[in-house]
Amino acid sequence: MQVTLKILRYNPEKDAQPHYERYTLDAEPTDRILDVLEKIKAHEDGTLTFRRSCAHGICGSCAMRINGRNRLACKTLLQTLDTSKEITVEPILGLPRVKDLVVDMTTFFDNYKKVMPYFVNDEPLPEDGRERLQSPEERERFDDTTKCILCGACTTACPTFWADNSYVGPSAIVNAHRFIFDSRDRAAAERLKILAGESGVFRCRTAFNCTEACPREIDITKAIAEVKRAIITGRLD
Amino acid sequence: MSFKTASEGYVKYQGLGNWAFVLHRLTGLGVILFLAIHVVDTAFVYFAPDLYKEAIALYRSPLFGLGEILLVLSIIYHGLNGLRVIYFDMVNPNMWTIEINRKSVIWTWIITLVLWLPAAVVMGSHILEHLGG
Repeated sequence: MQVTLKILRYNPEKDAQPHYERYTLDAEPTDRILDVLEKIKAHEDGTLTFRRSCAHGICGSCAMRINGRNRLACKTLLQTLDTSKEITVEPILGLPRVKDLVVDMTTFFDNYKKVMPYFVNDEPLPEDGRERLQSPEERERFDDTTKCILCGACTTACPTFWADNSYVGPSAIVNAHRFIFDSRDRAAAERLKILAGESGVFRCRTAFNCTEACPREIDITKAIAEVKRAIITGRLD
Repeated sequence: MSFKTASEGYVKYQGLGNWAFVLHRLTGLGVILFLAIHVVDTAFVYFAPDLYKEAIALYRSPLFGLGEILLVLSIIYHGLNGLRVIYFDMVNPNMWTIEINRKSVIWTWIITLVLWLPAAVVMGSHILEHLGG
């Protein structure tokens, strides 16, 4: 079948403004958007620039706006889209464009670092000197938020982040949630203090775009609401 | 990032949640605009009674009548959607799943229309009466 991609192109060395270019080519319904981008780069225009790495939905490199929604190009099959119309492919929104579909993720990772996304526990190890145990129920409490691959699809779908990227964003909150509700961690209070600040969870307007965008199907809005409640009630249940 | 980026997202980003959010913002701005105008025109009663009479005459024009019908829509939607978000966020975060959220957005629109339509009919017929008289 034939498919047409309308791609937002931008070369900072040549273009004053980004512009759309259209590419029509043969493709299979089981091809992914990433496969089509690869074909365009190989056969039509070698200057087309995008990030990719694993191509299996785990590295988080190829988040982009496909038909107006954030998705991973490597997880979006053509047969799930309406191929009778043009498919629009644009870079994720809210971060500076570098070239074509590549954006500068520095702010995204700076926000991630703000919430201490690492395990904190300075207490002595258990007597056997081995691992700190927790029950399956305690592990289950934060299971959902361990799935994040830091692709940025959620944060760059967030209306608050579009307007002001000092807001830590859904992804940073998800990664904070992963440690806040971990029974072995000891820095929950510190993280909740950071997230109670003016760049924290209360900037969330519950538009739900993050949850819809997440390629890992994390219930992000729920995680944010749980952090909000933990701040308000002071409890981690 | 900026007003421009946010506007692009408001207009172009797809999804029921985004549309519910953008509509919430627009209706909120509409209600604030009305409140600002209302505070100013009511202040005229004391400071400039003649201007107040002029303002009231202006409000009786069909254009303002249509604006008032939209104002009722804005208040109903903004209020209902606000309650929906507060309930999910503060009372029952377990309901924040994609399916329930989509359904709740559609139900909010249906209830808004059901509450607004009778008001719109009554207010619309008043406008027509004024035009006829």
